Amino acid sequence: MVFNSLTFVAFFAIVLLLHAMPFGWTTKKINLLVASYLFYAAWNPPFVILLWISTVVDWYAAQALVRAEGKHARRAWMLLSVVANLGMLSYFKYGDFVLQNFSALMGAAGIAYTPPAWDIVLPVGISFYTFATMSYTLDIYLRRALPAKNFLDYALFVTFFPHLVAGPIMRPTELVPQFESPRKATPDMVRFGLALMTLGLFQKIVLADAFLAPAAERVFDAKDAPGFVDAWTGTLAFSGQIFCDFAGYSTTAIGAALCLGFAMPDNFRFPYAAVGFSDFWRRWHITLSSWLRDYLYIPLGGNRHGPVRTYAALMGTMLLGGLWHGAAWTFVVWGGLHGLYLAVERLLRTRYAGYRPGPLALLGLGLLTYALINLTWVFFRAHTFGRAWEMLAGMVGAHGDAKPILGTPLLVPALAIVACLVVAHWRMRERTLESAIADTSPWLLGAAWGLMLFAIVIAQGAGNAFIYFQF
Amino acid sequence: MTAADRPGVAQPVPERDVPVRPWGPMLAGALIVFVVLMAFWEAYWRDYGVHPAYRNSPGQWAIQRRRIDHGEGDALVLTGASRVLFDVQLPEWERTTGERPIQLAMEGTSPLPMLDDLAADPAFTGRLLVGVAPDVFFSGFEYRGEVVKYAQKQGPSQRSGTWLSMHVLEPVFAFYEPDFALATVVRRQAWPLRPGIEKRTRVRKLAESDFDRSTHMWDKVANDRAYRAMARAIWAEDFGAAPPGMDTPASFDKTVETQIARAKKAIDTMRARGVRVLFVRMPSSGEYYAYEQRYFPRATTWERLLRETGTPGIHFEDYPQLQGYELPEWSHASASEARRMTVQLAPLVNTAFARHNPE
Repeated sequence: MVFNSLTFVAFFAIVLLLHAMPFGWTTKKINLLVASYLFYAAWNPPFVILLWISTVVDWYAAQALVRAEGKHARRAWMLLSVVANLGMLSYFKYGDFVLQNFSALMGAAGIAYTPPAWDIVLPVGISFYTFATMSYTLDIYLRRALPAKNFLDYALFVTFFPHLVAGPIMRPTELVPQFESPRKATPDMVRFGLALMTLGLFQKIVLADAFLAPAAERVFDAKDAPGFVDAWTGTLAFSGQIFCDFAGYSTTAIGAALCLGFAMPDNFRFPYAAVGFSDFWRRWHITLSSWLRDYLYIPLGGNRHGPVRTYAALMGTMLLGGLWHGAAWTFVVWGGLHGLYLAVERLLRTRYAGYRPGPLALLGLGLLTYALINLTWVFFRAHTFGRAWEMLAGMVGAHGDAKPILGTPLLVPALAIVACLVVAHWRMRERTLESAIADTSPWLLGAAWGLMLFAIVIAQGAGNAFIYFQF
Repeated sequence: MTAADRPGVAQPVPERDVPVRPWGPMLAGALIVFVVLMAFWEAYWRDYGVHPAYRNSPGQWAIQRRRIDHGEGDALVLTGASRVLFDVQLPEWERTTGERPIQLAMEGTSPLPMLDDLAADPAFTGRLLVGVAPDVFFSGFEYRGEVVKYAQKQGPSQRSGTWLSMHVLEPVFAFYEPDFALATVVRRQAWPLRPGIEKRTRVRKLAESDFDRSTHMWDKVANDRAYRAMARAIWAEDFGAAPPGMDTPASFDKTVETQIARAKKAIDTMRARGVRVLFVRMPSSGEYYAYEQRYFPRATTWERLLRETGTPGIHFEDYPQLQGYELPEWSHASASEARRMTVQLAPLVNTAFARHNPE
């Protein structure tokens, strides 16, 4: 089920109630586990089996890893986990992509090959929970963590519903210890958790779905080539939409976990205030970027083997990171552009190591970063390269005589929201949400909370799935 | 500190501090603000003339669609666009014939996706009334054609969401209706028109639905002169030209041919298992009728459809008892007129079905 649904409201109320009952800690954990399976099965019940497979394979692989004495045996168990998880992910997510590309390759070689229809539904959240479970065996293999003391704690780590389908991608060391001893949310934790959920749902239902998505869709899905204003508005609207959609999910997830007494890490830190791309990736989807860094970039050599290897590892990580987002070459290009940006930034930082920008230069660099990130969003959002090039051409003014696409009712609110978003990120650049709340009048906070609740209800969201569910 | 600051190590249990604030009073204040604003919003829409009613949601449509697969496969099923949805009154039909049809018509949507869907479902062996609103049917316009896929793929949480909505919200709140959603309200304000953009006003609320999609015209359309004028003006935005992609004789012919071929394929499939099909052209009037006459002449659309699909049809122009009704915005009958029309239509339909035997 999605957070922005009536079913979730009822589900969460029941879960909160059960969790507040005077049951033993093990019973409460079983309740949470069953609730999490229900949460997942509410999309498509048979896919719970995949979740079980992933859970059980990694549990036994980790147990065997601990018992294994030889280096090769340890590696074999680690590889079993990686192959099982990536195999499942590849089959469901990349099967069609591989077939289509194979067909195109055969066609290029003059061999006609039509692949069979690939009517496989992508299990929701598979990219997220496979990464979470893999980090369990990988941390044990890398001797960073000990295995969970019991299967229940481990299964709950994999399945815990707030993070299950779209992150934040949890590491076992972050969550398993929280299940080991009884935790109870204080009344203020519950209230703050509810406030976070309100904020997250406001971002998703009101900003992303009601105002930004229609503008982005109208431009990206139009048949006509966009002019300068439409191309930029569509792209800026998408930049706002994807942030509000995904950060909204993370904030809601963090709030839901907090209401139950559990802590989850930040996944976003005002990313549109980033100055440079390494800064951006320290602020955007933090749990994925750090996962890729720890389990891909560093094992690929990181920055320990000279500049060439460093740049290769950087580019490889970002290309694979792009592919993680979707089985299409447009996502690979998106990742490649980020890899290129990071490589150029690294080069510039090495060359101008002593440079410290002043306030105006910092603002300029921040805006440049945001503009360049918007160029990458074009490839992320466009369904084809053809449309992506049309959008980019529009953004540089190549379609001077293009017919307008967006009317003012879509254009003005979208631009206004994105402008407010960027300004808010910039003002919050060096702060946390918690510190800002601590400095704000309770009257204002209460009124803003009530207003957000009101806006969520009157927006009458259609329960649209979060963008990242498809990844 | 986040994981971004701790490369290559086991990530510790996150710390999640709760800012020191009077959270209890803040929550109480938020709830007061919320309740006051909601009361104002609900009162505003009730004062506007809105009553709590069931939403014409994809979930509602899916519930009706499932009836065919759950023991009612031999029922009379109604498809078409808004004219069948608003003008055929299920209670009157039931009173007249003793049978309550399954209502699958959807506003602004060609019935062809529904025909394809029913053709592919061996459980459906009953009778099918297909409403033909010329500008929708022959252009293939599918404003809400996605309901078919939605119904096919509806997951458990979507089903429970529909159930909760229908039992907890819809019977209680008047504001809970897509026409009054925040973004819709914002977009229909008097925004300046951007040069080069044609004025396109979204169709406003025209009807109210009951539990099984039994739907009638909203009384404000019939009784409020200004609202009725607005509804007509919105239709009139389309009257100046042929629908997109149908502006030349060749493109018109090709589009019509595509729709008819699609209909024929579905009908042939259904007929093979004994389904009886009937086309019905519900009344229109005023400028809407003039627009249809101009861009969708009967000879090249309706007559061709009947001929090429070998299917009987009821056209309102051929039956005096289907003429002379009050259609406040030229396209749909008011609730009382729809009741009167249904009493006249039902026997005609039953007679036509009785006369028509599948091969």
